[in-house]
Amino acid sequence: MLQILHDYGVLFLVGTFPNGPLGGLAGTLLLATLAAALALPLSIVLAVARIDNRRVYSAPASAVVTLMRGTPLLMVIFWSNYALPLLVGGSVGPFWVMLGALVVYQSAYLAEVVRAGINALPRGQYEAARALGLSHKETLVRIILPQALYNSFPALLAQFVSIIKETSLGFVIGVHEFSTAAAEANNDLLVKPVQIFSLLAITYFVVCFVFASMARSLERHMGMAKGVAPA
Amino acid sequence: MIELRRVSKRFGSQYVLKDVSGTVTRGEVAVVCGPSGSGKSTLIRTINRLEELDGGQILLEGRDIHEPAMDVDSLRMRVGFVFQQFNLFPHLSVLDNITLAPRRLQKLSKDEAEARAFDLLERVGLRAKATAFPGSLSGGQSQRVAIARSLAMSPQVMLFDEPTSALDPEMVSEVLAVMTDLARDGMTMMCVTHEMGFARNVADTVWFLEAGTLLVRLSAEEFFGGNVDARIRTFIGHTTTG
Repeated sequence: MLQILHDYGVLFLVGTFPNGPLGGLAGTLLLATLAAALALPLSIVLAVARIDNRRVYSAPASAVVTLMRGTPLLMVIFWSNYALPLLVGGSVGPFWVMLGALVVYQSAYLAEVVRAGINALPRGQYEAARALGLSHKETLVRIILPQALYNSFPALLAQFVSIIKETSLGFVIGVHEFSTAAAEANNDLLVKPVQIFSLLAITYFVVCFVFASMARSLERHMGMAKGVAPA
Repeated sequence: MIELRRVSKRFGSQYVLKDVSGTVTRGEVAVVCGPSGSGKSTLIRTINRLEELDGGQILLEGRDIHEPAMDVDSLRMRVGFVFQQFNLFPHLSVLDNITLAPRRLQKLSKDEAEARAFDLLERVGLRAKATAFPGSLSGGQSQRVAIARSLAMSPQVMLFDEPTSALDPEMVSEVLAVMTDLARDGMTMMCVTHEMGFARNVADTVWFLEAGTLLVRLSAEEFFGGNVDARIRTFIGHTTTG
């Protein structure tokens, strides 16, 4: 194991960078962070549209969420891989294909988290803001979303763990990320697949465990601040 | 000022309000009471369109507020509403709770809005709580802030939907004192409340609802004079706080 780390540690951490694109664990975290950062605003739009009384907004938003939640991510990746170049009218690198797939896919899941946060607020918050004369939009922006996003933050962080794990599927289209780096090491070394993929699994677990623990402790903290017993 | 004409409202096939008619003139304090489930809250919520009507009209200064062309938001800026559950915004300080609507809707500067907010907080006796967050306030304090928040829009009418029902008994009087002060100041008010003492001392008229119909609308003297329907005498007898 130590020998593997010694020989392939840099490949695991950053891929072939700086001689090639950033990959390895750094590539994974970059991909996951970008995906989360882009999916979150999209998910807020989806969530707000979904709870709208007007069907012109709620119906398409519901359709997107239902479709994405009922499709394996791998299908979305394949679809992006072949459709995105047609849409853009040129070749698209695997990193961008994967990013696109993750953003579309995760915005549906994050939208459900945000929607749950909105629905968990007392109805009176919305009514009180409207009763003062604030518009629907202004009520959402000033009153509902700040509270809903704050309350959902632990759940959003937990969803980030899913995104980290899902980036590993980028391997199938050759994205420079952690799993691809491990596969490259394995192809190079050939004789130690169990050790290599164990290292890979352990590292994923540690990274995910750290974020999941942060989410849990945040949740406990916020619950205590509100006088709610932790679940 | 407010005129209700045969106001009806149903949920499904069940009528919660049936042909309720009555007026509230400028400066009048009307108390709406009746047994629970009689439609009092629904009635008061129709007056700022938190509930829509199924029949009838509500006129505010002669204008039908439920007509399609009515701008709901501008209506609500003129009609203050105080909820049973206060509904302060927990992520905003007391000051920001009060200044939000004036700043966003009346385009007041921060300084102007805060000066007005401090005056109102002074009036409800909570100037010292300006920077506090709602979570640290007692129920009575929260409701007084909620009243100040409504007043910050300088409404022509104030509607109260059971403002003291969610409060611990020792906090009821501080809220009623603020409402009494407001009434003495000439504010037009409509209050759903079980506080018969408040009704007796402050109200000009008392509306008594039962099962969605307006049984009587009497002056406070007549209502408490004893020469009324047995159902009302029983009701007054049961709400002993008077």
